[in-house]
Amino acid sequence: MKSLERLTLAHLWTAFIAFAVACVFGLWQMLARSPIPTPGFTPSNYFISVTAHGAAMAYVLTTFFIMGFGYFTAETALQRPLPGKRIAWAAFGVGLLGVVMAVVPVLLGRASVLYTFYPPLTGSAWFYIGLVLVVASSWVWCAIMIVAMRQWKRANPGRPVPLAMYATVANAILWLWTTVGVTVELVFQVIPAALGLVDTVDVGLSRTLFSWTLHAIVYFWLFPAYIAFYTMAPEAAGGRLYSDTMGRLSFILFVLYSLPVGMHHLFMDPEHSTGFKFVQMTLTVLVTVPTLLTIFTISASMEFAGRLRGGKGLFGWIGALPWERPMVLATGLAFFMLWFGGGGGLINMSYGMNAMVHNTSWVTAHFHLIFGGTVVIMYFAIAYAIWPQLTGREAPSLRAQRIQLWLWAIGMMVMTLPWHYLGLQGQWRRVAQFDYANPIIAAWGSWVVVSVAGGAMLLASALLFIWNLAAFHRARTPVQAPFRFALAIHPPERVPASLNGFGLWNALVAVLMLVAYGYPIAQFFIHDRPVAVVHRVDGAQP
Amino acid sequence: MSEDVFREIDRPWRLWASAIVVGVLAFGCLSGFVILPVIQGYQAGIDPYTAICRSLGILPGSPAARQPVSTAPAAPVSQVSWGPSLIARLNKPDAARGQEIAASVCAACHGEKGLTADPAQFPNMAGQSAFAIYKQLHDYKSGARANEIMQPVVADLTDEQMADVAAHFAALQQARWEQTWVRAASPQVETIVRTGDSARGLPACESCHNPRSGGPIETPVLFAQTKEYLALQMQAFKSGSRKNDLYRRMRSISEKLTDSEIDQLAQYYFEQR
Ligand code: HEC
Ligand code: HEC
Ligand code: HEM
Ligand SMILES: [Cu+2]
Repeated sequence: MKSLERLTLAHLWTAFIAFAVACVFGLWQMLARSPIPTPGFTPSNYFISVTAHGAAMAYVLTTFFIMGFGYFTAETALQRPLPGKRIAWAAFGVGLLGVVMAVVPVLLGRASVLYTFYPPLTGSAWFYIGLVLVVASSWVWCAIMIVAMRQWKRANPGRPVPLAMYATVANAILWLWTTVGVTVELVFQVIPAALGLVDTVDVGLSRTLFSWTLHAIVYFWLFPAYIAFYTMAPEAAGGRLYSDTMGRLSFILFVLYSLPVGMHHLFMDPEHSTGFKFVQMTLTVLVTVPTLLTIFTISASMEFAGRLRGGKGLFGWIGALPWERPMVLATGLAFFMLWFGGGGGLINMSYGMNAMVHNTSWVTAHFHLIFGGTVVIMYFAIAYAIWPQLTGREAPSLRAQRIQLWLWAIGMMVMTLPWHYLGLQGQWRRVAQFDYANPIIAAWGSWVVVSVAGGAMLLASALLFIWNLAAFHRARTPVQAPFRFALAIHPPERVPASLNGFGLWNALVAVLMLVAYGYPIAQFFIHDRPVAVVHRVDGAQP
Repeated sequence: MSEDVFREIDRPWRLWASAIVVGVLAFGCLSGFVILPVIQGYQAGIDPYTAICRSLGILPGSPAARQPVSTAPAAPVSQVSWGPSLIARLNKPDAARGQEIAASVCAACHGEKGLTADPAQFPNMAGQSAFAIYKQLHDYKSGARANEIMQPVVADLTDEQMADVAAHFAALQQARWEQTWVRAASPQVETIVRTGDSARGLPACESCHNPRSGGPIETPVLFAQTKEYLALQMQAFKSGSRKNDLYRRMRSISEKLTDSEIDQLAQYYFEQR
C-alpha cells in the first residue's frame, strides 16, 4: 500500500470507528428518553453517554474524516506528492492522543459536560486539553493543505487550481478562522477553570466565543459533502459539472458567511443587544445563497447527465440517472434530506421563530437531519468512492452499499420527523428522562418510540457501513480505473485571481467579523461584568 | 499570459465582491440599529435615541418594550451570595484560625475531629463540603435556618471566620469523597438514589448529592452524616420547619417521600462510608 493511502486510511478508519461506537450510544440515549425500560439507565450515565456521543460525532468523526479526505484530495486532484507526510503522521498521532485523553475522563464520568463548552459547568481538564490537541493536529492539516496549493500554483502559474483542491483549501482557511473562538475560550477561560486556577468565569464571554465557532464549524463539517456534490457526483452520474465558477463562488460564500453569524445561537441570551443579533441574522440569511447555488448547479449537472443517457421531457432525465451507483443515490438522498433540514434551519435562524424552538428537541432533530443525514450520507458516499483507490480493490457488492444508504436515509427521516414534532410540543433537549405518567408527556410516548425505531435503523446502517468498508479489504477484484475528480463541462482556462486564491476573502471576513463581533466581545472588557462561580463536575473538588 | 491580464480580469471581482459585502453589512446595520429600533421604540413610547442605544447594547433594556418595574418585595430564603471573594476565602482559608475556632467553639458538640459523640443530637462535620457548611452557618446567622442551639453559636462569627471554620472541617477526612458504593437494602431506594422516580416527580438524589454532578454548589455531602440527622432533616424539609433550601429544592423532594423511604434513604447514605 502506498504512503498516501496508508495516511488516508488511518484517518478515515479512526473517524468511522468513532462514528460506529457513537451510534451505539445514540440508540441507547433514544431508548433512555423513551417510555421503554432501558438497561443501565441512570441520569448520570445518560449525560456520560450524550457527552461521548456528541463529542465523537462532532469532533472525532468530522475532524479525522476531513483531514484524511483532504490529504487524499491534495495528492489526487493536484497530481503531485503530498508535502509533509511525516508531519501529517505526527499530527495524526497527536490527534489520536488527544482523543484518548478526552474519551477516558468522559467514560469515567468526570467530564459530563456535553460537547459544547458552556461554563460555569466544567469537567476534567484532560477532556479539554485532549480536544485542544485534536484541534492543534487539524491546524497542521490546514498548513499542509495551504502549502500544497501554494506549491502547485508555483509550478503551474496562471492555471486555475482544481476545484476539489480549491474547496479543500477554502475549508482549511475557514477552519483556521473558526477555531480561533473556541481555542481562546478553552485556553483562557475553560481550562484555567477546570484546573482550579480560577474560581469564577465570565459566561457571557465564553458563550460568545463559542458562538464564534459554533456555526462555522458546521460548514467545516459540510464542506466534504459539497466537494462531493461538485467534483464527484456529476462524474458518477455519467456527466460533467455544469459550472466550475459556481462551485468556486459557493465555497467562497461559505467562507465569508459562516463566520459572522454565530450569534444566531444566542438569540435567547441576555448578554447581547437586539441590534447585533439582527445584523448576524441578516448575514445568516446569506448562507442560503451558496446552498441554493449548489442545488441549482448540481441539479443542472444531473440533468445534463440524465439527458446524455437518453432521458427526455421535463422530468425524464431523473429516471435516466444511474441510481444504482452509490454516489448518485447518496446525492439524491442527501438533497432530499437537505430540503427538510434546510427548511428547519430557516426557522431556527429567524430571530422571532427561534424563541419557539430554542432548547427543544426540534434543534437536536434538526441537526441530526442535516448533519447526521445530508452530511454524513455524503461521507459514506465519499468513502465508497475512494475506498477502491485506497485498498486497490473493487467493492464486492454495490447492492450492500445501496441498502446501507437507503437504510440511513429512511432511518434518519423516521427518527427525526417525530423528533421535530416533539420539539414543537415542547419536549426539552438534553434531558435524561421524561415523566410519562404526566398525561401531556404520555402523549409524546408513541412518537418517541417511532424515533427509537428510526435510531435502530440508523445503527443497523452504521454497522453495515463498517462491514461494507471492511469487505473492500477482504475483496479480490483489483481496482479497474484510478480515482479522479469530475471536470466541468467547460473546464476553465483561466480564472480571476480572486477565484483562485483567498487573499481578498480573508480581508472581507476580517471586516465582517470586526463589525459583527467587535463590540459584542469588546463590551465584556469595557463594562463591569458579572461572573459566575465555576462548577466542576470531575469530583476533584466539592 | 501576463500578470496585467490577470489583474485586469480580477479587478471587477474585487470591486463587486467588496461592494456587495459592504452593502449587505450596511443594510443589516441600518435595519438592526436604526430603522427597527426607532419604529419599535416609537410604538413602545421610547425615544429614538434611547431605542438606538439599547439596540447597540450601550444602554440596557429592549428597544421594543418599556422596562417593567417590579414592586414585589424580595423574599429570599437565604442571604448567602456566592461571590469571587467568598469562594477564594473558602479555597484559601486562614487554616490556623479555622482550627482555633473549631477547637474552642464547635468541638464540644461536633467533636474534636468533626465526628460527633452523640449522633442522635449533633451532625458530623468532617468531610462535609466547605460550601455546604458555610451556607448553613450563614443561614443560622441570618435567621434563614432556625435553631435554638446553633443560632447563638454563630451570632458573633464574621463571614471570614465562618469560611475559615467551614474550610477547616471540610479538610478533615477528605477521603470520604471517594465513595464505596454499597447497594441499598431495597431496590426501591436504590432506584430513588440512582434514577429517581419520574412518575412522582422525584429526581435522582445522585443528580445533586454527588461530587460529579451538576447540583448546586451548596449541596451537602450525605455520606459523612449520621442517619438520625439525615432523617431528621428530611422530616424538617417535609414539614416545612426547615425552609432555607433555595427554590424549595429539598422541600419539594421530601414532601414526596414516605416516612419509611426517608428512614431507608438515611440508612442507605449512612452506610456509604
Ligand atoms: C452546643 C452545641 C453546638 C455547638 C457548640 C455547635 N454546634 Fe453546630 N449544630 C448543633 C446542633 C444541635 C445542630 C443541628 C441543628 C439543626 O437541626 O438545625 C448543629 C448543626 C450544625 C450545622 C448544620 C449541618 C447540616 O449539614 O445541616 C453546621 C454547619 C454546624 N452545626 C457547624 C457548627 C460550627 C462550625 C460550630 C462552631 C463554630 C458549631 N456548629 C458549634 C450543635 C452545636
Ligand atoms: C436538585 C438537587 C437536589 C436533589 C435532587 C436532592 N437534593 Fe438533597 N439537598 C440539596 C441541597 C442544595 C441541599 C442543601 C439545602 C440548603 O441550602 O440548606 C440538600 C440537603 C439535603 C439534606 C440535608 C443535609 C444536611 O446536611 O443538612 C438531606 C438529608 C438531603 N438533601 C437528602 C436528599 C435525598 C435523600 C435526596 C433524594 C431523594 C435528595 N436530597 C435530592 C439538593 C438536592
Ligand atoms: C444511530 C444514530 C443516532 C442516534 C440514535 C442518535 C441519537 C441521539 C440522541 C438521543 C441524542 C441526545 C439528545 C438530547 O439529549 O437532547 C443525541 C445527541 C447528539 N447527536 Fe446523535 N444520534 C445518532 C447519530 C448521530 C450522528 C450521525 C451525528 C452527527 C454526525 C450525531 C450528533 C449528535 C450530537 C452532536 C449530539 C449532542 C447534542 C447535545 O449535546 O445536545 N448523532 N443523538
Ligand atoms: Cu448556526
